[in-house]
Amino acid sequence: MHGYEFYVDPSRCIGCQSCVKACEECDTHRGTSMVNFDFIDRGGTTASAAYVCWHCEEPTCAMACPTDAIKKGDDGIVQSSLQSRCIGCSNCVLACPFGIPKIFPEYEQMMKCDMCYDRTSVDKRPMCATVCPSQALAYVRPEEIAGRREKPTNVFRFGNQKVVTRVHMMVPAGTDTVSLDALDYVWEGSDVAFAQPQ
Amino acid sequence: MSNHESSKQRRGLVAINAAITFIIILLIVQIWLLGATLETFLAGHAGAVIPAAIFSGLGFLGCLALSVFVARPDHESRKH
Amino acid sequence: MSLLRSPSKEPLWREEFSVFTSDERYVTRRQFAKFLTLASLGMFVGNLWVLAKAFFARTPSFPSVEVGEAGEIPVRGIKLFTYPTPKDHCILIRTGEDEYVAYSQKCTHLSCAVYFSAKEDRLECPCHQGFFSVRDGSVLQGPPPRPLPEITLDRNGARLLAVGVKES
Repeated sequence: MHGYEFYVDPSRCIGCQSCVKACEECDTHRGTSMVNFDFIDRGGTTASAAYVCWHCEEPTCAMACPTDAIKKGDDGIVQSSLQSRCIGCSNCVLACPFGIPKIFPEYEQMMKCDMCYDRTSVDKRPMCATVCPSQALAYVRPEEIAGRREKPTNVFRFGNQKVVTRVHMMVPAGTDTVSLDALDYVWEGSDVAFAQPQ
Repeated sequence: MSNHESSKQRRGLVAINAAITFIIILLIVQIWLLGATLETFLAGHAGAVIPAAIFSGLGFLGCLALSVFVARPDHESRKH
Repeated sequence: MSLLRSPSKEPLWREEFSVFTSDERYVTRRQFAKFLTLASLGMFVGNLWVLAKAFFARTPSFPSVEVGEAGEIPVRGIKLFTYPTPKDHCILIRTGEDEYVAYSQKCTHLSCAVYFSAKEDRLECPCHQGFFSVRDGSVLQGPPPRPLPEITLDRNGARLLAVGVKES
């Protein structure tokens, strides 16, 4: 829809999984949800987060695809893999810094969120944003999101890679980018179950 | 979602389509020229051969110039 | 075509197999334009080849062929012979007491054999009623586009020799 943007606010997610169920209703991938739903620390907290594809401006998954199966259209939506071209090699799964694409070995295909293209191309909201009760996933105009305390950002830094996305993440006011360095999350030390072998 | 950008792209595409149409016209003229030249030469009149070669050369240079225009990476109108 | 490609930071494969659909339509158009230019070059080379043929063509010389003896055929009579090769049929006509002309028998329309009509005093093609003048082989009537090629005769005493084909 013209003028509407997608906003993801994990702090609002209540873990109802309505988005997961709503996504499963789509005829193109009935029964399989394209929403990446995470329990952040299942043992320690009830916090959850739901993510959709971030539709990056320079999609890493598309750049990594060896068969040119992932395309980004004029409207900025990164489409799911072209069924005739995808060979199920998982390059995109490994390449995506957000971990969005999923491989389905039974079809040898990758499938991912395409912003409900059959809906957004005819002026409807994506399913997940329509059903989310807390509007953790929201598809609204920028003016409406300006009322929130958190502010949207769409610039991410993964180590040296700067990724600009179309989908916005709600972050505390004053933060302009979301920076993540994988090295910060590499376990070292006494916890044998998680430590990498030296 | 990005209608303001796509009008620039559309203008670039229209120019390229026009260039390709001109190339096709030049090519058809060249094909006819070759056929007519061969016919008159085999009939014995060799007078038309030199101007025909010159015009065919001009036609080829025109095609070349237009194809360079089409192949130009026009970053302005192709921003994505 | 790397000479014509302006320098860009993207490698060629990334431009040709772009992940952006807005760029893909340019790739196919570019390839089509390049193909058409190649065809145009082919046509130009064809014209150059015709030019080369026109400049460097040598009219082949054939040995002269004895056609017959003077007086062998009556006035307004004909004799068939072959010149320059046994496959090229020609016709000799005695137009006067001491005048002989010879032409190729191949009609310039669709190569039927022409015959001499003494009554009409012209060479006639029976296929589509094309008529040629006996004096110079020019077309009097009918579909033939070009005059009948004349065979140059050389008189050597009493012998008639065919020595060349006159280019019209």
